Amino acid sequence: MNQQAAVLPVALLTSLLTLNLVPAHAAEALAMQDAAVWLQRMSDAARKVSYEGVFVMQHGAGMQTLSIFNRPVGSAKESRLAAMDGIEREIRCSETGSISRVMEGGQVRLEKRLNSRYFPDLLPPDATALANWYSVKMGKHARVAGLECRQIEIVPKDVYRWGYVLCADKDTGLPLKAMMVNAAGQPLMQYAFAEIRIGGQPRIDSSKDSKVRQSEWLMPASHPTTRPISLETVNVTNLPPGFSRISAVKRRLPNKADEVEHWVFSDGLTHVSLFLEPAAHPIKSIRGQSKQGMINMVKLQVGPMQATVLGDAPWPAIEAIAMGLEAPTGNARQ
Amino acid sequence: MRSQEMTEKTMQPLDAIATDLPLADSRFENLSALIDGELTDDMAGLGIRQLSQNEAQLARHREYIAIGDAMRGLNAQHSDFTQRVMAALEKEPVVLAPIAKKSQRRPTLWLAAATAAAITWGIWQSNPRDEINPQLAATHQPATQSLEAMPYLAAHQDFAQAVISTQEMRFTKASLEIRQ
Repeated sequence: MNQQAAVLPVALLTSLLTLNLVPAHAAEALAMQDAAVWLQRMSDAARKVSYEGVFVMQHGAGMQTLSIFNRPVGSAKESRLAAMDGIEREIRCSETGSISRVMEGGQVRLEKRLNSRYFPDLLPPDATALANWYSVKMGKHARVAGLECRQIEIVPKDVYRWGYVLCADKDTGLPLKAMMVNAAGQPLMQYAFAEIRIGGQPRIDSSKDSKVRQSEWLMPASHPTTRPISLETVNVTNLPPGFSRISAVKRRLPNKADEVEHWVFSDGLTHVSLFLEPAAHPIKSIRGQSKQGMINMVKLQVGPMQATVLGDAPWPAIEAIAMGLEAPTGNARQ
Repeated sequence: MRSQEMTEKTMQPLDAIATDLPLADSRFENLSALIDGELTDDMAGLGIRQLSQNEAQLARHREYIAIGDAMRGLNAQHSDFTQRVMAALEKEPVVLAPIAKKSQRRPTLWLAAATAAAITWGIWQSNPRDEINPQLAATHQPATQSLEAMPYLAAHQDFAQAVISTQEMRFTKASLEIRQ
């Protein structure tokens, strides 16, 4: 495994974020087989390569800096992300799952996360199937965090998902930069390493900025945060191509007294949540959209249930799922 | 542009809730028609001038707007909102171009808010009702919707790549149509 190190001064972060990762519209899409190879290479690198570094996440006017450590453990990975600004937050992932730890007012709050996706581990473990729903175009060579990388554009084949422009490390395929883009190629959010060391054996717990003892990461066994659903509360009759249900649990949400069913549909790259709960009163359909259009949601009534469909996906995906919800009894959507 | 039929329609009696309005001029008997946008240009101009000169009518108009705002979850913005509406009324009464439409009258208070909003932004939509024109309504940020969306946004963060706050969301009434 090669070892590479590069450090960029903080002053360069701004210019880094404006680095031209433009969609390579002029490039020809790879054949599906070649596309699948590239997708899988990037996916594997994010889990099977050891790396540690600092990356910047930019969304709208907001910017956040996080440190990351990752190392392969058997067929799985161990990783830690820590916010370097704002309140203390950490996420740890292992083969047993993902836990977030937040310091709030001197109190430590642990929460089990349902997913372990974060930059640069954005692609699913089996990324080859993505080639059915996305084209892959090879772009120009670039330089991120002092390392050479190759721009790779992931272009949705339909209107149900956002696209990505990645810059994959020349040697390992590890994404050094990623930009989520809308259909017009405009960035919705982006990540970029400012500093990264690839190779070696990052020692997650002995890191100088980790103030957390291993014992503090043990979830209280008496407080399960989720439990499986027992019955299908609604029927989902219309999922966008390539989407399937990857999760369905009952869980408690902030500011809600009762448990809510949380279903998640995904094509491996785009994720849409469906929340189901009894409708206390007739529901008027409400649509929500984030300022840049990245997050879309709709609330509607399905039989006796209130359904909230929400995801970082284009409106057609949200709308298609919402319009396909039916009460199991055959009652029409209201 | 404005048909005689429409003019007659706008002169129908006030909604029950507005019947005690102390109106000085018989040619302008229908405040609800004014805020509903159903008056002709001439009638609307006259109504605005009268409104600006009659403190009692002005106070009632403020009250309509306040109640309308409260119904739409905008009560927190009311003070400033009303001032802006009043300022707009004083400055640009001609903005109130009436809309030719075959309207089914709706509750006056609800329409008060929609109409006032259109004045404030200097926009006169062909139909200011937010379920028909979601972009107009999108500039509102009903606090209740933000609060309702927060738990779902928080839970979806397990899968989302960006942490979205409710302040970054805008809400509109959805009109979902089944595609054939």
